[in-house]
Amino acid sequence: MKQEDTTTPEQPRPPARLPLWANPRIGLVVLLIALIALFTTLRPAFLNTQLTLVPMQADISVYAVVGLSQLAVLSLGHMNMAVGRMAAMSAFASGLLHDRLDAPLIVALAGGLAMGALLGALAGIIISRTGVNSFVVTLALDFALIGLVSLLYATFTDGVAFNGLPAGMSALRTDTFADYCAGDVCGPEIPLLAPIALVAVLVVGLLFRWSRVGREVLMTGSNAKAAELSGIPVGWRVVQAHALSGLLAGLAGFLLSANNGSFSAGVGDGFLLPSFLAPVLGGTLLVGGAVSVLGTVLGTAITQVIYKGLNLLQFQVDELKLYIGLVLLAALSLDRLRHVLAERRGVPA
Amino acid sequence: MLLAEGLSKSFPGVRALDGVTLQLAAGSVHALLGENGAGKSTLVKILTGVYRPDAGRVVLDGRDVGFGSPLEALHAGIGVVHQERNLVPEFSIAENIALQHLPNRLGMVDRTRMRAEARRCLGMLDLDLDPDTRVAELSVAQAQLVEIAKALSVDTRVLLLDEPTASLTGDEADRLYAIVRKLTATGHAVVLVSHKLEEVFAVADTVTVLRDGRSVAQAQPLSGYTRDEIVDLMVGRAYASVELTARTVDRAATPALELAGLSTRHGHREVSLTVARGEILGLYGLVGAGRTELAKALLGLDEITGGEVRVHGVPVRIRDVGQALRRHRIGYVPEDRKGEGLFLEQPITRNVGVTVWRRLARFGLIPDRAERDVVAEYTELLGIRAASPGQLAGQLSGGNQQKVSLAKWLAASCDILIVDEPTVGIDVRTKAAFHELIARLAGQGMAILLISSDLPEIVTLADRIAVMGEAAVRGELVNDHDYDAVSQRVIRLIHAAPAAV
Repeated sequence: MKQEDTTTPEQPRPPARLPLWANPRIGLVVLLIALIALFTTLRPAFLNTQLTLVPMQADISVYAVVGLSQLAVLSLGHMNMAVGRMAAMSAFASGLLHDRLDAPLIVALAGGLAMGALLGALAGIIISRTGVNSFVVTLALDFALIGLVSLLYATFTDGVAFNGLPAGMSALRTDTFADYCAGDVCGPEIPLLAPIALVAVLVVGLLFRWSRVGREVLMTGSNAKAAELSGIPVGWRVVQAHALSGLLAGLAGFLLSANNGSFSAGVGDGFLLPSFLAPVLGGTLLVGGAVSVLGTVLGTAITQVIYKGLNLLQFQVDELKLYIGLVLLAALSLDRLRHVLAERRGVPA
Repeated sequence: MLLAEGLSKSFPGVRALDGVTLQLAAGSVHALLGENGAGKSTLVKILTGVYRPDAGRVVLDGRDVGFGSPLEALHAGIGVVHQERNLVPEFSIAENIALQHLPNRLGMVDRTRMRAEARRCLGMLDLDLDPDTRVAELSVAQAQLVEIAKALSVDTRVLLLDEPTASLTGDEADRLYAIVRKLTATGHAVVLVSHKLEEVFAVADTVTVLRDGRSVAQAQPLSGYTRDEIVDLMVGRAYASVELTARTVDRAATPALELAGLSTRHGHREVSLTVARGEILGLYGLVGAGRTELAKALLGLDEITGGEVRVHGVPVRIRDVGQALRRHRIGYVPEDRKGEGLFLEQPITRNVGVTVWRRLARFGLIPDRAERDVVAEYTELLGIRAASPGQLAGQLSGGNQQKVSLAKWLAASCDILIVDEPTVGIDVRTKAAFHELIARLAGQGMAILLISSDLPEIVTLADRIAVMGEAAVRGELVNDHDYDAVSQRVIRLIHAAPAAV
């Protein structure tokens, strides 16, 4: 073999270097800065801490977790159309635990996460057992859960929300670290929700980058047949990824409930589009096999900046939806263009 | 009637056809023979407009025809029945026959005409079938005949039959050939591609034999040859010998892998094979003989309905590849490199590392450094040539891809390796290097089951050769590396009628 190496005419190509403009993350950072500069010029109030920055950070925290929930199954090339309802069921579980058992904050949170993970695992089991497309399975699950959530709230509450929150949950809503001081030193103006989301981001990042399970999920997304023939327990990985998706949906539901100030049936109603928007803007492939956790956070930040900016410019809700939709289409087209250009240069994008 | 002259066709790394000429006369059956990879399929695909030849021309009735698409060939009067079924099971016979040229009236399918047309085609074959029957309800033999009816539905002059009896019983095959005779009597020309020499001698008038992309016999009357002479023509290539690691096999010891009377849901009947430590067992057979399926059943991917698998003498039930790897140290390098062996969009590191992550993981996390070291060790050992370990598997050449596909099993320290068609589509030089590598692995004590349809490859590498046909072992022989003698015996086993069923 050694001698053969020196005589083989076939030469490897020089290392393909990704040009800077083809790195999606850098493009996102530039876009984010440009958007902030634009909105600040148009409305200086955009940089007002109380009015904009703190609520925006809270929203970014919630929707980054929503994006990660979708990312967890996009890694397989699957979709979770039931993110919203999984969040709603989690919020219900947390609310019920508090309302009936007077459970403290941490127990309510754990119950909510368990509910989300169970629903996700259920979707995963159905998908891996039947081989039915994840889109169809989770869409049907979503539909069933819409009915179930309304029924449960009608049975266990006076209306569509639980009265009251566990102790400490309203602090999550209103406080920032600036409210907690040690002597004269107070924390920054960052909402208490942010570190929770940050932990989720770090854990998911670690999972897909360094953990065996996360990598095997990605390999399954890349080529399920090859994964099976390489000894990866493909079915089990599908269940795990969907359970993770459900768990993160549950966490997002909890964070949004904290932000709203109640566990209500409407939690998660607006989760579906943002859940795709953030990962896809951030460079996660819909076909599976590659994810970008950092990109998802940046994608969420961009979406929320646009949302807040247009809001300040006094656009109506319907117009906001229109523009967010257009931004998604533009981002996807640009991404495709970037791909094509990079391919022509002979580098993987 | 049809003359294909000086046809050449190259694919990356392979010269599939090199100046081949095929001459057909109206009213005759012409046999096209050759081993796997001799160029028969390529020739058929050129004649039916699937491929364009690099050089040469096709002349039909004195007119130059250069087919740009299968449809053009069809309209020129060349019909083909492929080895694989090409009917839509949910459609009726009439719909299937009319598929390429639906008669329409005001934009709607004219069903009356469609049925009449189907009846006419079925009539040509003396087939008494209702055109409205769904194809799914037909027997395999009936479906085969409907395929021929379909090929005749256009004004077909030349009919190409690629292994038409592969899935038929003897009686059904006789019936089919009676119909073929009738067609030639009405002035059709028929090209018959078949591995069943008995049938060829019974039906064909003339013969062209391909070997390594060249014609070694050209439109000769078949009556001028004996069966053995044809086999000689097919296999008699100069045997290129490679210096391989010499090895000794201890056959007295407990075999590393043993299949004892294995039957599977896929239709394998009582397959028994043994592979000793340090031995290469060549598993030869035609495409579709059930060798890959056997390997997959062994790995737990298909149901085993009878018999036993023993690893180092211990009966085992293998549930999946992960278990085969971890508990029994069996690795499988699949035939379909791109579809099953590799993760094309993933870097080499991950493609090789995938089997060792479990071993390397600390608290569920994989240290980059440990992975890099393992991957570096095996890319060097196998001589994988890549720009960097981060290069995507999809960007590598075929030979390097195959090495990556193999590397993950070596990294996982397998001691039983099933290698399925390891050198398909790989150029000659890399192929030789690969053979050397496989021999070296066996020399180090690995038990290797080599599935290959490449007879020279088997004769080069194997210690013993088992020949499979129709999901059963037809026979086994010790390989004395005398290519001519061994290949003749193997070919005879292939063409032998299946042992009493």
